[in-house]
Amino acid sequence: MRRRLKAVVAFSPPPQAATGPLQIASLRAWRIREPESGRRYTIIRILSQSGVAGFGEGGAVKAADIADAKTALAGQRATALEFVRNRFASVPALEAALSNALIDLMARSTGVPVYQYLGGPTRFKARLMARMPDIGMAAFAEPVRFAREHGYKTFTLPAPPKEAMTRLQAYVDSVRQKMEGFKKLAGADAEIVLDGAGALLPGDAAMVARALESVHPVWFDEPTSVLTNDALSRITDESIMPVGLGRGIHDVSTFQNLLRWGSVDVLRPSLGLNSLHKIRRMAAIAETHYVAVAPYHDGGPLATMLGIHLAAALTNAYVQEVPIPASPRDRAMRAELLGGTVERAQDGFAALVNQPGLGVRVDEQALNKYSEETV
Amino acid sequence: MKRRELFGALAAAGAFAQTRSNRVRNACDCAPQIKLATDKPPGAALFRDVGSKLRITGMKVFGVTLDERMGRVDRPYVFVKLETNQGVFGWGEATLEGKAAAAMACVNDLKDLIIGSDPMQVEHLHQLMYIGSFYRGGPVLGSAISGIDQALWDIRGKVLGLPVYELLGGPVDPRGVRGYYHASAWTVSEVRELRDKARAAGVTAFKFQLPDLLEWVETNAKIKRAVRALEIYREGLGPDIDFAVDFHARPSPTVAAILLREVEPLHLLFAEEVCPPENIRAMQRAVRKSTTPIATGERLIASYGFTEIIDLGIVDILQPDIAHVGGVSALWKVAAAGDAAGMRMAPHACEGPVGGIASLHVDAACPNFLAQEICGLVDAGEQNQVWEDLLGFPAMRMVDGRYPLPTKPGLGFEVSEAALKKYPFQGTRPFPMAFHEDGAIASL
Repeated sequence: MRRRLKAVVAFSPPPQAATGPLQIASLRAWRIREPESGRRYTIIRILSQSGVAGFGEGGAVKAADIADAKTALAGQRATALEFVRNRFASVPALEAALSNALIDLMARSTGVPVYQYLGGPTRFKARLMARMPDIGMAAFAEPVRFAREHGYKTFTLPAPPKEAMTRLQAYVDSVRQKMEGFKKLAGADAEIVLDGAGALLPGDAAMVARALESVHPVWFDEPTSVLTNDALSRITDESIMPVGLGRGIHDVSTFQNLLRWGSVDVLRPSLGLNSLHKIRRMAAIAETHYVAVAPYHDGGPLATMLGIHLAAALTNAYVQEVPIPASPRDRAMRAELLGGTVERAQDGFAALVNQPGLGVRVDEQALNKYSEETV
Repeated sequence: MKRRELFGALAAAGAFAQTRSNRVRNACDCAPQIKLATDKPPGAALFRDVGSKLRITGMKVFGVTLDERMGRVDRPYVFVKLETNQGVFGWGEATLEGKAAAAMACVNDLKDLIIGSDPMQVEHLHQLMYIGSFYRGGPVLGSAISGIDQALWDIRGKVLGLPVYELLGGPVDPRGVRGYYHASAWTVSEVRELRDKARAAGVTAFKFQLPDLLEWVETNAKIKRAVRALEIYREGLGPDIDFAVDFHARPSPTVAAILLREVEPLHLLFAEEVCPPENIRAMQRAVRKSTTPIATGERLIASYGFTEIIDLGIVDILQPDIAHVGGVSALWKVAAAGDAAGMRMAPHACEGPVGGIASLHVDAACPNFLAQEICGLVDAGEQNQVWEDLLGFPAMRMVDGRYPLPTKPGLGFEVSEAALKKYPFQGTRPFPMAFHEDGAIASL
């Protein structure tokens, strides 16, 4: 009975003050779709009583859930990140967007960059990694050139698909050839994260990891979607290849289990499913296991900026992934959303912007232009 | 109430008041509800009939700052001197990198437990300092206890007329204690030059470091550079001279696992502190995929600090530091536990001459001893002058790959208080810091 009462308390809204400058006044959401890639994400603007706006991004969210959030957040304080984490735990993409908007709002209200609001910078620049689109090698040249010209030195490279009947050795050879081919395109100094996209069986992934460990990709990302301890230990026990996991995970304790079992070398919580507030909690646990955090990111440009601020504040951040769309039209659209700011690196790193909040201007006209629906 | 009952009640109240007055009190009344010992040092009265007549009458702590050119700016030596009522002195070392003043203060904090005690009760006094401190571990307390413990063993040996290693079971190898020097070389020709010097001096082993700072995960480029550096050491030294590599806790377990697998063909003497020391299970993750011998332990305090690492069988070689682990007593206990678990000993020592010599005594009596670190290069250089000044003889050097054993009673030397004045304490200096390319703090 006591346990049940505790649960009720945890999910109850915090006490409401009558009014105040930090009270949430309004919420508006744009359900964005990139024109060519079809990539979807949600951008939310939360306005405080004092007129300060904060913007956040999360993955794709249904309009009905956003409408529910409008009701639930009306009159709450902008600091209520724990309330948001609990109340919207079952809609992780919404939790991410709402909580991130509140963090931006609070950073703007207090006149500091988000990385300061999150605890202050642990580094003066944040390493970036270009997430390459899953297209054939022939089509790679243009986005690779774009990424190199924009200062990227580390890349996630999608592993080729494996047909059920393909011999394992033939598949391993095809992965090796793709990595070698990519190096020729991107340059000898390019560093590769091999993206398995959760598509391999654990045994196959173990074979790939063991065969390619001497090539030293920075890590093997999401080698399998079978996240049981036994399945993962087949990979981690047999190979020294670092393993990145977690793009689909949105609760802290699942990461804690992976860390306890020594199944993960790089934590990959998705920026689309986890707020900065939640990833900080995951990172705190990973730190005691000497494990790095490199948030997975296949969303929009606002989340890139959020990830850079987070990387600046986390002691165990290693790199922030940035999607590089294959289409120039999508790339232009992303810059348009940020008022012309391009997601670029300089010699592999993003500079920190020492301005309140996220330090970028979100163009609401562009949001309207590219949204499927505004709520 | 009858009169007899009233007297009884008053008597009981008086007894209660008496008991209360003997109890430990503090502001919040949360102290242990037991009677306090009233004798000084605590418990001494109980041993009046079974101990010696020797008593510790004085304790001095010396901070010793060497010339900065010698690269010891972060670690002024901290020496402890115990004086007795029979004119016998004991010396120990409590040097703690980056925390010299704290270690000195902590030694003084333990004064009440030591002054007036019988120095022959080494184990009892060690327990008094460790258990009696309530907060048992930590490098500051560990170093302070280490300094006092070494001095107690020095007195004990002098009083009994025997070197300390004789008291610990006698030397396993009378020729001395195998050691290794630190070395820094980056090209094959530099390493070959080192090899020639080693052959001439009878040195059988060296220890190098990794070339780069390392992050949580690492690039292909840095992994290859680290492996190549180690390959150069083997190419230059040839197959007959051993070398260890101090990872100095720079890599994460993830990166350490890669390096350890890649350097297997080089047959290292050992890889030291392959990742940070706090999470033992994380270290287990790093080392389980390689046959390279793993050494660790310089930052672990007391024999208790080694329990988990020994019980889980994670490492091959234990490296307690006599200036931090708890002196001669704790170093010997760790060695005993390691021996039972099939682990060898390569005690860490990167402080001053007192701790270095004290280590030799324990090493000499350990059947599972492998090699002793003594901070320094093949060429003793300016260290010779410091040793001459402080101890009256030049810096300890290996003969045919071994440090000869001291022959005098106790630890086998006296420190000149007059000479200590030549190196006055100039305050604590921080441990050197290093930063990654993005400004984040690196493990150095």
